Amino acid sequence: MIKQPSPAYVLSLCLLGGSLMASAANAADGDWKRGRVYYQYVCTDCHKAKAGGPIAPNTRTMADWTSYLKADKHAKGKESLKKYTSKEYRASIKATNKAAEKYADIPDEQLFNDIKSFMLKGAKDGDSPASCL
Amino acid sequence: MRAGIFAVAAMVAMVVIPAANAATGQVPEKLFKSTADHSKFKALQRDFKSGPEVTKACLTCHTEASKQLHRTQHWKWEFLNPDGQRLGKKHVINNFCISVASNYASCTTCHIGYGWKDDKFDFASEVNVDCLICHDTTGNYRKQPGLAGNVVTKRMEIPPGSGNIVKPIDLKKIAKAVGKTSRDNCGACHFFGGGGDGVKHGDMDSSLASPDKALDVHMDALGLNFACATCHMTEGHQVPGSRYAPTAQDKGSAHLRGKEYTTNPTTCQSCHGQAPHKKIAKLNDHTDKVACQTCHIPTYARGGIATKMSWDWSTAGKMGPDGKPLTRKDAKGRVIYSAAKGDFVLGENVVPDYMWFNGKVKYTLFGDKVEKSNEPIRINHFEGSAGDGKSLIWPVKIMRGRQAYDPVNKTLVILHMAGNDDTAFWTNFNWEKAVTVGMVSVGAAFSGKVDFVATESTWPITHMVAPAKDALRCHDCHGKDGRMNWKALGYAGDPRSGKK
Repeated sequence: MIKQPSPAYVLSLCLLGGSLMASAANAADGDWKRGRVYYQYVCTDCHKAKAGGPIAPNTRTMADWTSYLKADKHAKGKESLKKYTSKEYRASIKATNKAAEKYADIPDEQLFNDIKSFMLKGAKDGDSPASCL
Repeated sequence: MRAGIFAVAAMVAMVVIPAANAATGQVPEKLFKSTADHSKFKALQRDFKSGPEVTKACLTCHTEASKQLHRTQHWKWEFLNPDGQRLGKKHVINNFCISVASNYASCTTCHIGYGWKDDKFDFASEVNVDCLICHDTTGNYRKQPGLAGNVVTKRMEIPPGSGNIVKPIDLKKIAKAVGKTSRDNCGACHFFGGGGDGVKHGDMDSSLASPDKALDVHMDALGLNFACATCHMTEGHQVPGSRYAPTAQDKGSAHLRGKEYTTNPTTCQSCHGQAPHKKIAKLNDHTDKVACQTCHIPTYARGGIATKMSWDWSTAGKMGPDGKPLTRKDAKGRVIYSAAKGDFVLGENVVPDYMWFNGKVKYTLFGDKVEKSNEPIRINHFEGSAGDGKSLIWPVKIMRGRQAYDPVNKTLVILHMAGNDDTAFWTNFNWEKAVTVGMVSVGAAFSGKVDFVATESTWPITHMVAPAKDALRCHDCHGKDGRMNWKALGYAGDPRSGKK
């Protein structure tokens, strides 16, 4: 005989699953506006000053950006890209960078996701190709 | 027993996960924005084939929204000036792209509705109201020119024959993510007035989507981060602060919460009051003569995007050596001549012109008699004077141009500019054909002759408010190198030197 799960058991599974799914959905759905600000005032400002100029999102395709972000390589593979969005990095520059200061407490994964959302949306074949000023 | 364990697990999940999110700021951030999650709304769990289908779904909950919108300038494109002049985009002529008339399908890309392609548009239709243009939060909602404000829901070539393929937008995804308006929403139209980024206003362009403090202290994305609606405080979808109904001088106090006001909430004084300068009180002595913007917006178009300072239509229509429409660019790669539009002069970091302004604006409208002379025809002009007690010295952008007029009937003309037909100027570069169709569209007489006259239009400068440290100093206006033309303002000379 197969024992039927109790209603409370089913309900608890649903609630647990629902909570986890909601959390995962939030994580996957980045805040592109926050990503835009970080990209503009941390990534682009630094590239302008030290790395030969800005790299506009619309200079690459979504596939390019996806594989770039997944590879997690920066400065021709010498270092991790995620280093530059990490809390540790933000803490190190927040005295002189207002974006790093404003987003100092955003979890690493969340901020990375925000930036990813902006870059994919702004890619050459994205929903809203974005250039740099 | 097992059920009990899972029930506890579920409760822990319900408590711990939100708590963890609360610690990260994630869930509260979303919750604080709204009590409604549109992604959960039953009416939005479907695919939409058109904009009006989305609006129909919106109206199932927001039952009165379209009725509110129908009463707004954003919907009617019409405004009755206190002196009786009928204004609004629907009626005025400017010296950028001239007029909406005869160019509806292109111009109404920026209308908050769907389907305004000619003068038979149904302004009473509730489903024709476009909710998403103002409430999209994805940044992916786009209206393409030539579609009368409709959206692309399947792959299309725009313009036809151009080879430019436009992807459809995901209306379901966009509808499920609606929210409060932002700078991106308003900017989708207002940053691009006059046919391109920053072209028209000079103090509004896409650099304000995510500006720093130096560009605008209020909209600073890393600071106060004001939305447009923070100042343009909207009630019942009525957006105050239109340039058709300007407040030149606000003598009221700062608006207090809980108190009802009938005055314009977009003025500086409505927040800062009448004596905002605490450290240098002497500056408060200027507020009865000088608009706040005069000192606090030292230059406009300073976000890296040029604004058009002049536009000469009379040179339009030139072909290059290859027989194709000519285009010329400046050293920065910006277009300064196009066969479709003529010659432009661009400006960045522009020092405004200054004039007395009492809040009244007079327009030269279509049908008004104009004379060609050495003086430019004023498309609009700000009224005011030093001694009327109602005027302040305001910063403005003067847009100069040369545009087509009928030298026999002596009227500015309507130009059928855009459209996929043989008479549109951008298709055939033939003035007589394009003006004939334009004038017929409004039932006006046209002699068949086209000449060009110099015109000027005046635009208030009120955005791009600089930080206090960058505001004008005494010597910027007073003294031998000051920027004010005191004589043009009605003084014998610099009033600081006692010349009244």
